[in-house]
Amino acid sequence: MKLEGKYTYKASQQVVWDLFNNPRCLEKAIPGCKKLEERGPGKYDAILKIGIAAVRGMYSGKFEVLDPEPPNRYRLIGEGSGTPGLVKGDGIIEFSQEGDSTMLSYTGEVQVGGLIAGVGQRLISGIAKMMIKEFFRKMKTELKSLK
Amino acid sequence: MSNEDKGKWVGKGMKRKEDLRLLIGRGNFMDDIRLPNMKHAAILRSPYPHAWIRGMDVSEAEKLPGVRGILTGEDVEKMSKPFSVGVPVPPKYYACAVDKVRFVGEPVAVVVADDRYIAEDALDLIKVDYEPLPVVMDIEEATQPDSPILHDNIGSNIYSHRLFKYGNPEKAYEEADLVVKGKFLFPKYGSTPIETYAVIASYNPYNEEFVIYNNYQGPFVTHFLVALALGIPENKMRWIVPTDIGGGFGTKTGMYPYIALIALAAKKTGMTVKWLEDRREHLLASSTGTDRVTYMEAAVKKDGTILALKDKAIDNTGGYIRPPEPGCAYRSTGNHTGAYQIKDLDREVLVVGTNKCLTAPNRGYTCQELYFSVERLVDMAATELGLDPAEIRFKNFIQPGQFPYTTATGGLYDAGNYPKAFQMALDIIDYKKMREEQQKARKESKYIGIGFATVVDPSVTNIAYVTLALTPEQRAKERPKSGSGESVIVKMDPLGKVHVIASTNPQGQGHETVISQIVADELGIHPDDVTVSDVVDTHDRVYSITTGSYSSRFASVGTNAVVYATRKVKERMTKIAAHLLEANPNDLELKKGKFYVKGSPDRSISIRHVAGTAHWNQAALPEGMDAGLYASSFLSMPTSKPVDDLDRVDSSNTYGFVAEAIVLEVDIETGEVKFLKWASVHDSGTVLNPMLLEGQVMGSCIHALGGTLYEEFAYDENGQCLTASFQDYLVPTAMEVPKIDIGHVETASPLTALGSKGAGESSSMSVPVAIGNAIADALSPLGVTIDELPLSPNKIWHLIQEARAKKD
Repeated sequence: MKLEGKYTYKASQQVVWDLFNNPRCLEKAIPGCKKLEERGPGKYDAILKIGIAAVRGMYSGKFEVLDPEPPNRYRLIGEGSGTPGLVKGDGIIEFSQEGDSTMLSYTGEVQVGGLIAGVGQRLISGIAKMMIKEFFRKMKTELKSLK
Repeated sequence: MSNEDKGKWVGKGMKRKEDLRLLIGRGNFMDDIRLPNMKHAAILRSPYPHAWIRGMDVSEAEKLPGVRGILTGEDVEKMSKPFSVGVPVPPKYYACAVDKVRFVGEPVAVVVADDRYIAEDALDLIKVDYEPLPVVMDIEEATQPDSPILHDNIGSNIYSHRLFKYGNPEKAYEEADLVVKGKFLFPKYGSTPIETYAVIASYNPYNEEFVIYNNYQGPFVTHFLVALALGIPENKMRWIVPTDIGGGFGTKTGMYPYIALIALAAKKTGMTVKWLEDRREHLLASSTGTDRVTYMEAAVKKDGTILALKDKAIDNTGGYIRPPEPGCAYRSTGNHTGAYQIKDLDREVLVVGTNKCLTAPNRGYTCQELYFSVERLVDMAATELGLDPAEIRFKNFIQPGQFPYTTATGGLYDAGNYPKAFQMALDIIDYKKMREEQQKARKESKYIGIGFATVVDPSVTNIAYVTLALTPEQRAKERPKSGSGESVIVKMDPLGKVHVIASTNPQGQGHETVISQIVADELGIHPDDVTVSDVVDTHDRVYSITTGSYSSRFASVGTNAVVYATRKVKERMTKIAAHLLEANPNDLELKKGKFYVKGSPDRSISIRHVAGTAHWNQAALPEGMDAGLYASSFLSMPTSKPVDDLDRVDSSNTYGFVAEAIVLEVDIETGEVKFLKWASVHDSGTVLNPMLLEGQVMGSCIHALGGTLYEEFAYDENGQCLTASFQDYLVPTAMEVPKIDIGHVETASPLTALGSKGAGESSSMSVPVAIGNAIADALSPLGVTIDELPLSPNKIWHLIQEARAKKD
């Protein structure tokens, strides 16, 4: 499943870059995130609890930021597994200044396995889009709290 | 029997004896069985299609209160052997993954707990360390040397590979005016019986015996296979099947690995363990039909005569191959040329593995795959030669005077009248008029299509055909296999009532009803005076390798056993009556419940008196006669012989015929199909009970409708199954079922006592290609070719767009 989108934040590119590299902000903004721990530079362990029908359950996973080019782009890979199955993702997040705002664009691919793949994979792209939207919206709140 | 009693019940649409108990909720299914101290199992399944199991930690799960024990792959490897399978290099297929998983849903551990809830919760606490591997999902890719290999001990993904030649295809090709070719893809679809797999197993360590309740369709060959895998003699494993099974359709022949798995869980934990498959497990990991790629060509004369067929067929049995596979590739050998006089064949057969769910027979057992190629090709030949698709069929049919007809591949077609049955189908749809309407509709840009399939419907498996997986040289080193026997015991009690003990193990077909009808006719009694117990208990039934309900066996070999056993009882009754009447047995006739001396109507004795004597006054029996009144019959069909040195075999023993004629309209804007007329004409020999036959025919039509338009076990490119619920695996409902006009031609089989033969699979073989042919016919002005299923609106719409793009 391919995912892509754009989001705009009213802040400088450096501020937005810092925001998207701040584990505390990420922890608060990732939907259902119960815990996010930095294992090493750019490496995180996470526990997620998701309450949406087809993907409901606890997940434990790992995220890693690769090939960072501050403040322009980084690659994010992650994988998680839980009762409902497996999720694996690989994506690129890019930042660009547009006037007094920063445009964030993402492209990525997500693979699912187990129960969530067999039951309602058709629903998953919808759920993923909803969760991503929620994440970027919450990051906006986090941005305000940083200011 | 006098003429007035004969045929009083057989041939009538007598109501099913089974229905009352089912309708009032008094059926006896697996879930109705409650054994003392019964515990419940849940199975942990692989989320990966292909991965090493690097480790497993069950310690947290074991600590959960209520958990009684956990069976892992390591245990299964220690406690059992891989299932035996008739291919040159068998994969190591255990009841549970040992060190590697090869399809999503493959069992990796079993938790036994006080209830299913606890067992399911415990599954979440098991930690499995998987190391994912690359997957192979495509049939043809699987045959390539650089594809990921599933089984290192085999070294390739090819489980079985054979080349066959029958007749002289080279010569036929020289004589042919035209060669028609196609590549056909048949999807992986299955059956979705209302009752899923279920097993209750216990192990008694004192006599080292397993008692296993299950809803298997056999015992068939699998009781033997499970005993072999468990490392025990067959008489140490008792299988008991409850009175009612909620559907089988071949899918349940794939459940025996779970019988072994739950038996091992019972042995390890010392508990009586019950496992009931849930629907998701069923759709993900029970058993499906094979998907097949076929390259087929026909060498044809200008007048439409088909001289030869050449094909390469590749079947896919998924992550492993297990019995009765590789039957998929060889089952239809005897009827490979269908209803036609084709003498020369060149065949290449492959059975391969991919990271998909495993296979077993599925109603029609690969005849739908075969005929999808043959019957599409017949239509394609007609188109190229400018012939009518009905005409080319009449031209090539085996003619009524040619029966019994031996096919090039060794099939012995017992009886039939193919032109008559096909003509009946054409008359039902009013073929000529439909062609006119099609022309009219085309002028209005409406796309009506007419599609036929005229196919031979094999029933009664001769187990010999599985040995076709071996070359004649390899076969010569083994003992031959053959047979199709079924057993029945008929008993008469002192009051003259009859009890029949059969082991055909029906899954809803109504055998109780038909057996009662037959016995009533044979003995001149009422069907209400006959009770039937027709389930398997391997300790108290007579059975063999072939016993069970599969390959539409009952109406042929099952009824043979019923008739012959009943006639033996009647013969004994006649002897007793003659003895008591001091008459010659040849002078007696049975009429309205009494034996009469012909010509002396005052000298008679009732059935009840005869039966009473056999039980109550044994001293009065003729000298040397056994006491009591019973007889048994256990006969294989005489035509069930081993494969010969030229790879010819009568793979089934009776052969019916189906003519399907379908008129439909395709909405080219939406790709939707609307059925206008549907005639399904069958020749399954003598009709035993028209109501039951209609149910079977209707069921086979709708089952196939699902496989043709809706159903497919679909996987994404990463090997994940996309259809593990009815939300995505679309089964036709009453809303999708069109009106179907059923017709019958009755050509009695000389091989069965009543002239009847199997019909339960029938249209599942003919409907997919008949619909395919009709859609191809409808869309022929657009240049659309139909060579794969399922034909969802989406797929039809895309085919139309592609054809349009090509034209532009």
